[in-house]
Amino acid sequence: MRKLKDIGIQLIIPIIIVLAWHFTTTYTDTPSSILPSISKVKKAFGGMVQTGQLQEDLRVSFTRVTKGYAYSILFGGILGILMGMFPVVKKLFGLITTVIRQIPMIAWIPLVILWCGIGEESKIVIIVIAAFFPIMINTLNGVESTPTGYIEVARLYKLGKIKTFAKVYLPHALPQMLVGLKLGLGVSWMAVVASELIAATAGIGYRMSDARSLMRSDIVIVCMLVIGLVGIIMDKGLSLLFKALTPWERRSGGKANG
Amino acid sequence: MAKEILQIKNLDKRFIVNKQEVPILKGINLTVEEGEFITIVGHSGCGKSTLLKIIAGLVDYEEGEVIRNGKKVVQPGTDCGMVFQEHRLLPWLKIRDNVGFGIKNLDKREREKLIEKHIELVGLEGFEKAYPSQLSGGMSQRAAIARGLVANPSILLLDEPFGALDALTRIQMQKEILRIQKEEKTTMIMVTHDIDEAIYLGRRVIVMSARPGEIKSILTIESSVAKNRGGAEFSYYKKKILDHFFEESEEAIEYTI
Repeated sequence: MRKLKDIGIQLIIPIIIVLAWHFTTTYTDTPSSILPSISKVKKAFGGMVQTGQLQEDLRVSFTRVTKGYAYSILFGGILGILMGMFPVVKKLFGLITTVIRQIPMIAWIPLVILWCGIGEESKIVIIVIAAFFPIMINTLNGVESTPTGYIEVARLYKLGKIKTFAKVYLPHALPQMLVGLKLGLGVSWMAVVASELIAATAGIGYRMSDARSLMRSDIVIVCMLVIGLVGIIMDKGLSLLFKALTPWERRSGGKANG
Repeated sequence: MAKEILQIKNLDKRFIVNKQEVPILKGINLTVEEGEFITIVGHSGCGKSTLLKIIAGLVDYEEGEVIRNGKKVVQPGTDCGMVFQEHRLLPWLKIRDNVGFGIKNLDKREREKLIEKHIELVGLEGFEKAYPSQLSGGMSQRAAIARGLVANPSILLLDEPFGALDALTRIQMQKEILRIQKEEKTTMIMVTHDIDEAIYLGRRVIVMSARPGEIKSILTIESSVAKNRGGAEFSYYKKKILDHFFEESEEAIEYTI
């Protein structure tokens, strides 16, 4: 009952927005190139799915995200782990990563286009620039915050460096690493759209930019909605995966006594 | 005369704090016989935890000698287990895997048998598959004791293991550890700041002074005295130990003036 009420409250604002949209397009003479009607957007969506254009755009963008995200996990994860375990590595990279992190991902796009052109590489590089830092920093924090007490236990039982990493540092860092991975995926998705908007010949971001130049705001809105939807699905998907990966995290309720 | 399992000779330990040497332990001499239950009482900061860590091989020392099972201590070894004040169970491992954490080079079946045996020993049957976060403080310490004993060490070091437990659970755990010691015959050395606990458990109570940590006196307690917490003799020893600290704190006041 309570849950139903919660959902109801959450839906109030979205319903108001949709209604406002509907009334604006029905009862005012707003040009459809500025704000298309809901039915027009629906039609555009249907058309894009039918021709396979939407699927193809998503496939292109997804491939880029997958590659860029994979590199980000690899580089960000490894550097974060090394910085967390070895203070000297942290000192070596600490300053430079903090400085570079201040530059917004978007600000990299001009230079990356000059260096890598407008092909696949530039998209992947921009995704890596965007996703690397949240992954690295969260991994670093997770590893670094491993309680010395646990490390002492590993020493007591004479675990080697690699085993100590696998049995103590890594599982301790995992929940925090997963937070970084989630943030990283979110910004990867944003980065691919941003880089495609500015310079690309395919992908969901390119489709929006193309539709804008044709004054097809209905397609722009379809793309925006799809981008939002994909973002939510990826986020929820990762959450479910992470819950399965860290079963000890949610069992604190219901302590046994004795 | 039982076998001497641990010998500490003229042990000195210093820490460097702000580039200054601070003596932590000074001239510690102690011999422990196999199967003994020794308790160490002292103020916090008197170096008693450091002493345990030195015995365990977790902390090195400058001068003197620590010989465990006939060998000079340079690093941790399977002959010596340890239980800390915080249970230090790894939250991501189920109780059975936490208990089995210290087992090495054993095939799966033998490993499971050992784990099963020690879970039974501490009375945690049925909680093998629970995570540490699902256990209460007392149960967590039971699991930590099982982990400390699983590799069958000859010495178990206990660093204020019941310090964070409520009073009733603490008394229950004190009884349990006595029972476990009787069954396993492990030599146990426990650090505590609870004088009652020290007298109840320790057949020898080592009283330490602080800064630097020195052994002030060693009291031998008959088990008949220890069993009767309300008895006159128990109170006598309690007063005797308290007097040591009282005396010492007076010295400390003089020192600060």
